[in-house]
Amino acid sequence: MSALIEISNLTRRFGGLVAVDGVSTSVAPGELVGLIGPNGAGKTTLFNLISGFTRPTSGTVRFKGEPIDRLKPHAIAARGLARTFQNLRIFPNMSVFDNVSVGAVGAIGQSALQAVFGRGARRDEITARTFAALDRVGLTDRAGELAANLSYGKRKYLEIARALAMKPDLLILDEPAAGLDDSETAELARFIRELNREGLAIMLVEHDMNLVMSITTRVVVLSSGRKIADDAPAVVRADPAVLEAYLGVEA
Amino acid sequence: MSIDPYYLQQLAIGLSQGVIYALMAIGFTLIFGVLNVVNFAHGEIYTLGAFVGLLVIATFAPPLVVVLLLVAAVGALFGVGLERIAFKPFRRFSDEASLKSRAMRESTLMSSLAVSIVVREALEIGFGSQMQTMPFEAMINKPIALGPVTIVTGDVIIFAVAVVMLVALQWLLTRTRVGLAIRAVSANPLGAKYVGIDTDRTIVTTFAVGSMMGAAAGLLVGLYYGSIFPAMGFVPGIKAFVAMVMGGLSSIPGAVICALLLGLSEGLATTFVSSNWADMVAYGFLVVTLIFFPQGLFGAGRERV
Repeated sequence: MSALIEISNLTRRFGGLVAVDGVSTSVAPGELVGLIGPNGAGKTTLFNLISGFTRPTSGTVRFKGEPIDRLKPHAIAARGLARTFQNLRIFPNMSVFDNVSVGAVGAIGQSALQAVFGRGARRDEITARTFAALDRVGLTDRAGELAANLSYGKRKYLEIARALAMKPDLLILDEPAAGLDDSETAELARFIRELNREGLAIMLVEHDMNLVMSITTRVVVLSSGRKIADDAPAVVRADPAVLEAYLGVEA
Repeated sequence: MSIDPYYLQQLAIGLSQGVIYALMAIGFTLIFGVLNVVNFAHGEIYTLGAFVGLLVIATFAPPLVVVLLLVAAVGALFGVGLERIAFKPFRRFSDEASLKSRAMRESTLMSSLAVSIVVREALEIGFGSQMQTMPFEAMINKPIALGPVTIVTGDVIIFAVAVVMLVALQWLLTRTRVGLAIRAVSANPLGAKYVGIDTDRTIVTTFAVGSMMGAAAGLLVGLYYGSIFPAMGFVPGIKAFVAMVMGGLSSIPGAVICALLLGLSEGLATTFVSSNWADMVAYGFLVVTLIFFPQGLFGAGRERV
């Protein structure tokens, strides 16, 4: 099976610190992979490397077979790799509809002349994608409101809708459950799983171990920049190296 | 009861001054307020627009519409150049910390000021600091009598151009993909980047559009008064800045309304006090706005348009 995203030997140094150290892993189409690790393990750096925000010191990232580690973030996003943020990055002063449209525009492209004068099909496509994404997260009836008026929980869904409007092949969720209570987290878990069942490959970084263990098909564990486990949740849960990394004791 | 025609005339003069400020404020607010970058070189784009216009008129003497389009095109190029020289180098770092850093963002205050000084001095070396006269035939100051009040063709033209710019810009910002991208970048550059928006290109486009309008404003005002000089962009730049702050920083219609208010108030000050006090009106407005309406007269500018 060919991988959707293939990370090989990825290393990133910041001065003397090796934030990500020779990590290799992959995500196949339709997979739901969790990425966990203690604070400072390199999860965020790995995400930044994948999404083009940071350049690797060495190693490669291939997405749909093509190398993407030299591309700019917007170019990577336009190829079908969408992400959400731990600290939400919505556009608070814009309407819910416009927020999601930005995702559609980002994916469809925005050549200046075409964007100003190109009407018809593309515009209809943007509107259609926007409504489909809003519908998917249940925000259609709030399309006209300012994003700033949504509750914190709803903003998470807004950000996911914005990513879905891009019709991504891979969706990266950065700590989506942060700041949500138990019932909200459970609802979000159900939603993420549903998205995955519809065929969307998802990579999930999360502190909430229960969430990760309950919905993912595979878990990658980072510790001090290195990959220490990459297996089914049940196996990872029992892995002595993982227990040691998390609890700081010999298991 | 009738109003003394003299006052009506002064009112018309104030209004026409306000429209001139509005013309300048539109492009200024687009870059400064909507895009949220500090650009102090807009006044020089305005001056360059006037000088390019003079060169074009002196060489080819084409119809006004052609001059306007040419100047707007050159203005767009200047805008792109300005962005590349004074703004892009400060966007090399796009990590979280530097995006939040005020110092990083406001360093363009210095770089754009530097560009503005260089351009002004270069124009003085090239043309001298004295007034250059626009060819008489090209000027837009043919009188039009409106009952007791006399206005000139320039008033009508500048008003029409300002309205077209305002409407076109609102349409661009709210109805097109480029506009959506501009608003997204101004709200959250990182978020926009990660959903596939080319922030770099969006910013250059905004500079091109805003500078196009700035250059057109300089040309029209040059033709209106009939004379241009290298430092001509300074005062309108200040007035546009005041109008933008009063309008709530990010609202283009707000800036236009405040520009009109500013022109009218200056006209009234000239009529009832003395013309020496006219400039004090703008600075007075600025101080009063900052103290009593720190969000601007039109609220917090809820939507950055």
